[in-house]
Amino acid sequence: MINDNLIAVSILDSLNMLAGGLFLLTAFGIVATRQAKGTLTLFITQSLLLAVSAFLLGLRHSSLHLYGVALVNVVAKAILIPWVLRKTVHEEVYTRREIDQVLNIPSSLLISLALVIIAYFLTIPLQQAIAVEFRGPNIPIGFAVLFLGAYTLAVRREAVPLLIGLLAMENGAFFAGISLARTLPLLVELAIATDGLIIVFITGVLIRAVHQHIGTTEVGAMARLKERTTDEALEETGQ
Amino acid sequence: MNVIILLILPLAAAALSFLPLPRLASVVTVASSSAIFFISLQLAEQVVSTGQPISVFPKWIAVDGLSVLMLLMIAFVGAMAAFFSLGYMSMNSHKPGRLRLYYANFNLFIFSMLAIPVLVEPTLVWIVVELTTLCSALLVCFENTHEALEAAWKYVVLSLMGAAVGLLGFLMLFATMQAAGGGTYTWDGLVAAAPRMPAVLLEVAFVMILVGLGTKAGLVPMHTWLPDAHSQAPSPVCALLSGVETTAVLYVILRLFPVLKAAPGTHAEVYAIVFGLLSVGAAAFLLLQVSDYKRMFAFSTVEHMGIILLAAGLGTSSAHYGALYQAFSHTLTKSFCFFAAGAALLAVGTREISLVRGLIRTSPVAGASLLLGGLAIAGAPPFVVFLSEFSIFRAGLSEGRFIEMALLVLFIAIGFFGILQHINQMVFGGSNSDAKLKVRLPASCLVVLLVTALLVIWLGFYLPEPLHQLLRLGASALER
Amino acid sequence: MIERIFFNLLQVLVVLVFSPLVAGVINRLKEIVQSKRGPSIFQPYRDLWKFFQKDEVISEESSWIFRATPYIAFITPIFVTLLIPVLTDYPLFFAFMADMVGGGFVLALGGFFKTLAAVDTANPYGPMGASRTRMVGFLAEPVFIIVFFTVAFVADSTIPYIVQKRWMSPPSNFLEPSHVLLMAAFFMLILAETGRIPVDNPSGHFELAMIDESKMLEYSGKGAALIKWGGYMKLFVLLCIFLNVLVTPWGLAYKQTFGNVLLAVPLVLFKIFIFILVLVIIESSLAKLRLFRITEFLGSAFVTSVAAMLMRLFSL
Repeated sequence: MINDNLIAVSILDSLNMLAGGLFLLTAFGIVATRQAKGTLTLFITQSLLLAVSAFLLGLRHSSLHLYGVALVNVVAKAILIPWVLRKTVHEEVYTRREIDQVLNIPSSLLISLALVIIAYFLTIPLQQAIAVEFRGPNIPIGFAVLFLGAYTLAVRREAVPLLIGLLAMENGAFFAGISLARTLPLLVELAIATDGLIIVFITGVLIRAVHQHIGTTEVGAMARLKERTTDEALEETGQ
Repeated sequence: MNVIILLILPLAAAALSFLPLPRLASVVTVASSSAIFFISLQLAEQVVSTGQPISVFPKWIAVDGLSVLMLLMIAFVGAMAAFFSLGYMSMNSHKPGRLRLYYANFNLFIFSMLAIPVLVEPTLVWIVVELTTLCSALLVCFENTHEALEAAWKYVVLSLMGAAVGLLGFLMLFATMQAAGGGTYTWDGLVAAAPRMPAVLLEVAFVMILVGLGTKAGLVPMHTWLPDAHSQAPSPVCALLSGVETTAVLYVILRLFPVLKAAPGTHAEVYAIVFGLLSVGAAAFLLLQVSDYKRMFAFSTVEHMGIILLAAGLGTSSAHYGALYQAFSHTLTKSFCFFAAGAALLAVGTREISLVRGLIRTSPVAGASLLLGGLAIAGAPPFVVFLSEFSIFRAGLSEGRFIEMALLVLFIAIGFFGILQHINQMVFGGSNSDAKLKVRLPASCLVVLLVTALLVIWLGFYLPEPLHQLLRLGASALER
Repeated sequence: MIERIFFNLLQVLVVLVFSPLVAGVINRLKEIVQSKRGPSIFQPYRDLWKFFQKDEVISEESSWIFRATPYIAFITPIFVTLLIPVLTDYPLFFAFMADMVGGGFVLALGGFFKTLAAVDTANPYGPMGASRTRMVGFLAEPVFIIVFFTVAFVADSTIPYIVQKRWMSPPSNFLEPSHVLLMAAFFMLILAETGRIPVDNPSGHFELAMIDESKMLEYSGKGAALIKWGGYMKLFVLLCIFLNVLVTPWGLAYKQTFGNVLLAVPLVLFKIFIFILVLVIIESSLAKLRLFRITEFLGSAFVTSVAAMLMRLFSL
């Protein structure tokens, strides 16, 4: 009986690891995929994997609460967020391809790898500080995805991949969270999910406004606001 | 009960603002903001007189001295900005639909900010902090120019990036709480559990929250979005963004100080002093070379955030008092500055410092208030910012923090010079241009300018006893 | 002892005999997917037979490298066959001559000589293919190394027989993320290494777009037959490593009896057939990448393999 249990637990653990590994890969994909739509698909996959991981941890620790988290994630991130994005952002924006990023893709991928390794080393002391039952692969992976999302925001310029990068960061935080803060009230989880929807809505409206008024979807490349001295300002205005 | 009404009012006003009736939105907004101000005054009075926090739902919503101080600041600037919008927005011919959108967003923004001090469960606070970004994003890009849209985009992206880091920080804080044996996850609960918390975990959580929310509070080096957003938004919104939003976010960080103080082996004060000095220093030098007067005030916000954080990092009760005093005086003065900047913008139609000369002749009201605002925010003697900065300085010296204080004074002096040099050129400089047709400022703008100016001057001479009590109560909340 | 030597030689025989069949089946299936009838699955045998019958033409300007290369290309896969589990899940006589890294180097040696030979005759297309092969090769190399590192890291060994056991005991090891990610990385590597879509089009006839094929344009007769056969065997060997060591470490002979080993032959062929089906689906649904996009393809393989290593690190 105990033996059975142990095997079940070890299988659940490796499945959770697997979900984590794929979760990490989707983050790499978000860094590297050229198609704006591709990043959206990757994000949906990523959110589903997050839900899978929450579900598996729920099974593992027999916590009803984590099932709720999984459900909330599936509904909010895999269904509602893409829907809201499609509603707010013009078709043309999210079917775009990004031809050139700030860095080329292989170097981006290498930097991302370095970030993951950094995330791993950063989390070693944390893992030791927390109780054994909260430890797990979720924490380094969550940190890594947080970093990769931030990196996406730094190197990409197209609107939709940038938004996806933001959401991926939040996914990363959550991925660590389902292991760290397992008993967070469900009300809070719901509120955070709603918050994600509002993010997409507001950012979508913003992207649409940029597209309408400036005619670009490369929001990351806008650079009109910068520090100038008064002399430069004078030159610019020609007075 | 009042606390709940406080939260419902702006929501209701936002809903009403959407109704397609002429002028309804503005009237509703003004009415609800004034009501909010009076309710928070009443709450403040209640808290000060009893000295006890008001808990509505102890696990979710409660108001203590510190929160009530924040509430008062938010409500005051909110009411003033609502009045100011009345005239300011009618000067620019916007379509009624867009105006309704403006007021609705304005009310939502007020709601999200009021919720920050009222809520006590940290993750919920994180959510409303994020909501402040989202509700104000569309206000920042309200003008829909290239610059405004760019500013709004930077604002949203950087703030949300910070928010994601902060979220992980808050989740870790929760884990820290669990590691310390649990308890209710509220600010008070955290302080109670603090002595048993593992230091590493708590410190990492704190740093992540400091970096994450510090982005939104405009701490250097995460401040890059702030001058853009705070200069491109319509002036009343700038007053809210610069005057209270940053302070409200900083309040969340300050809430963690007592926790770290109670936990063994953690060093919040080091981070606070480093980030604080960095912000003050960088902002001071940036102030020397700005070319846009709204940006100038925005950089001054970065400077003041640094001062508050530094003061909080000093750790004594008089320094905490000074930090809150500084927060209060900054909110008051900065909102006045942005109202003045708004008046100047209406008068001359440009944000470039180099294009504005001899403002005192073309538009005496705008010129005088810009001068007053510049003097007050830079920390010239008879104004409230001088008093608060002085109290921090005194607290620091009595602690024996000579190097930090010397640097602080040096940076403040540089910033002082930077601000006044630009203000001087704008207000008194030889008028190089055809004095354009004089714009008559709307009455509501004049009233707001007058009220805030009087407060800035009056509080510079005299600190009323109730306010002193409130600051003391607030400082004691940081103390525990 | 004698048995083990015998089984080892039997493995070589199986690889020799069945590798052209694999190529034939792939070609036939691809044609079927494209709604054509396609050549018989035994066509590669006929081709080889025909090549062996013909005279060989060798350029006067070429050196010994050109003449030696067909033999090297033919021998190296056979040599690797001695090292890896083709039919049995227990180590055979020559199994400990070299580990997976060694096997990889031996295969690379064959590729190296093919490249040299392509440059040797100064045929204009040869060097072009050679330089492209090197480009793909030097991008694939780090992936290879990292994959082996990861395997060594996870299984504490680079001897394929030991690695193979690692995934099955306990069974939850099979689901280990580092294992799954390794499979993905290795699969991409096989596509690149054997010149298949999306890296190269093995059935293309356009010299300018060729990567792998153009190196053999100068060969005729016996040389062409040996090189082709060597190519078939290389694919077969890589598939054996991939399937028998990483993906499906089942269905191999576990007893040292004749019947058991012979029974493994159809099972292994069946596994390869299933894999070929997947391969054909991929080849028919993807387009060949532009030359400089290959970097990205192999870059993602690299990331996947490093991620596999990291996942192992995370779970420690």
